[in-house]
Amino acid sequence: MRINPVLQKELKIRMRGWRAAGMIGVYLIFMALTASFAMIMSMGGYYRSTIDPELAIGSYTGLAVMQFVLISFISPALTTGAISGEREKQTLDLLLCTRMTPLSIVIGKLFASISQIVLLIIASLPIFSIVFMFGGISVIELLELFGFFIIIAITFGSIGIFYSSYFKRTTAANVLAYGTIAFLCFGTIFLTVLYLGITHDYDFKGVFPLLYANPIVGFASILWEQFRGGNMNFFPGLIIGNTTAAGYISPWIINLLFNIALSIVLMILSANKINPLKKGHRGRFFLSRRGKK
Amino acid sequence: MLKIKGLVKKYGRFTAVNDLNLNVPKGEIYGFVGPNGAGKTTTMKIICGLMAADRGEIYVNDIDVIKNVRKAKEVIGYMPDFFGVYDNLKVTEYLDFYASIYKINAKDRKKICDDLLELVDLQDKRDAYVDSLSRGMKQRLCLARSLVHNPELLVLDEPASGMDPRARVEMKEILRTLKDLGKTIIISSHILPELSELCTSIGIIDRGKIVISGTVDEIMQQVYSKRFIKIKLRGKIAEGIKVLQEKPFATSIREGEDFIEAGFEGNEEEMAMLLKELVMRDIPVISFGQMDGNLEDVFMKVTKGDEA
Repeated sequence: MRINPVLQKELKIRMRGWRAAGMIGVYLIFMALTASFAMIMSMGGYYRSTIDPELAIGSYTGLAVMQFVLISFISPALTTGAISGEREKQTLDLLLCTRMTPLSIVIGKLFASISQIVLLIIASLPIFSIVFMFGGISVIELLELFGFFIIIAITFGSIGIFYSSYFKRTTAANVLAYGTIAFLCFGTIFLTVLYLGITHDYDFKGVFPLLYANPIVGFASILWEQFRGGNMNFFPGLIIGNTTAAGYISPWIINLLFNIALSIVLMILSANKINPLKKGHRGRFFLSRRGKK
Repeated sequence: MLKIKGLVKKYGRFTAVNDLNLNVPKGEIYGFVGPNGAGKTTTMKIICGLMAADRGEIYVNDIDVIKNVRKAKEVIGYMPDFFGVYDNLKVTEYLDFYASIYKINAKDRKKICDDLLELVDLQDKRDAYVDSLSRGMKQRLCLARSLVHNPELLVLDEPASGMDPRARVEMKEILRTLKDLGKTIIISSHILPELSELCTSIGIIDRGKIVISGTVDEIMQQVYSKRFIKIKLRGKIAEGIKVLQEKPFATSIREGEDFIEAGFEGNEEEMAMLLKELVMRDIPVISFGQMDGNLEDVFMKVTKGDEA
């Protein structure tokens, strides 16, 4: 099997020096602090003589939320400079004049970033394994959650790559990537509540379609189902956990499919954007052209 | 090796390349000269598949670049005028990375990297980080990078820009070696005297069109329709001028402190006879020869004095 050369090179560059080690260190510190905090909070300040699965759920939730937040922040940060950085460093043309296709360049860049996220997730496994001391969470469920995180990382990374290929400056790509992620996480909720408010449809049953695109909804639903919670009415338009209802598909599964589809579309658009032979190369609208022809 | 037919590239209303035709035979070093904005870089980028043409055909080694760009890229090596390098990557790793793109196996890649580093004289920098190299070294490394897949055509956009005189001489030597290895090279530069020394043919591009193309001598003849000779004498300048004035093929005679320059419209036999006559008349000739063409003068003339 041949590894994508861009991925191979990026991994080499990214793992060199103190930056990668520092990032893992800081990440694990955050995760460890969260685990400690969650356990203290779950113990509720009173002494328990027996091991309580509730402790596991508290710690697991705390760690999962922290992991989700960190991945949401780190994934775009690792990818928004992927293409624009190549442009800024004037190395993109050197890649494009080789036999590599624009899509393989984009995939190499994205998966180099995702590899770092995967490394962070794997590094956090020992901290997560605390929950196994108390029971209540199976290994399969933990892997299920980690798989969800990896898809989320790919999605957020694809958003970062997409803006990185459309904008010359990494700063602009950063702002828009975080803006888009904020929209997916909070904008969809706002629009749902607004729509249901305008239509006075306060008794909307199940999950409002727009919310399937929301990663927080997907994340909440995966946790809720792992805790075997029943019907939960978070707010109008978001009732999850009705697993016994006919035709019910877990929101996190739909969210996962949406994320995969979105990632594929964004990767194709990014590759198309950096393809110099694409017809009607409108990217120049965003890119400042050098005077020299 | 390289054939361009009716190439057109427009940016909105501005025509950067206007019906450009070019034919570069195998093994040539072809100099691409033109003022800023004449269309040199655009043409080179289109050849390398880094820009789409609006019209026209390009063939590299009979491969249609427009229709089969991926295959064409395997026989083209490109060195842009401006380029950067990656941080945290060593010289050998840099070359190895580009070689791996062309699916060269790891064992062969090592040998290729060693050979290329020897060619560009960077063996002692093999373990240095690429971002720590001087500009001249980076340019040599970039040239080595463009050679990792053993391309038949090299497209070099201002490869010696920003280099000190020594580095330029070294770069020229490398390019001569590559020519000896059978590579076809198309090179743009602003340093015209160097191009006239290095290139086997030259094309002057202006407003997106090749205005003149051929060997330096052919261009000189096309532009000036005559050759120039320079005769260095040890005294008797006036007598030497008198001899030249008697000859109908000698024109535009100009007197220097210890030399005479003149236009020469005769053939080589007449040139030999002229030298013989000077010697027979006891005029002390130190040197006698045809003057090298001044490409800068030609450039200014055919581009109507636009900036080079």
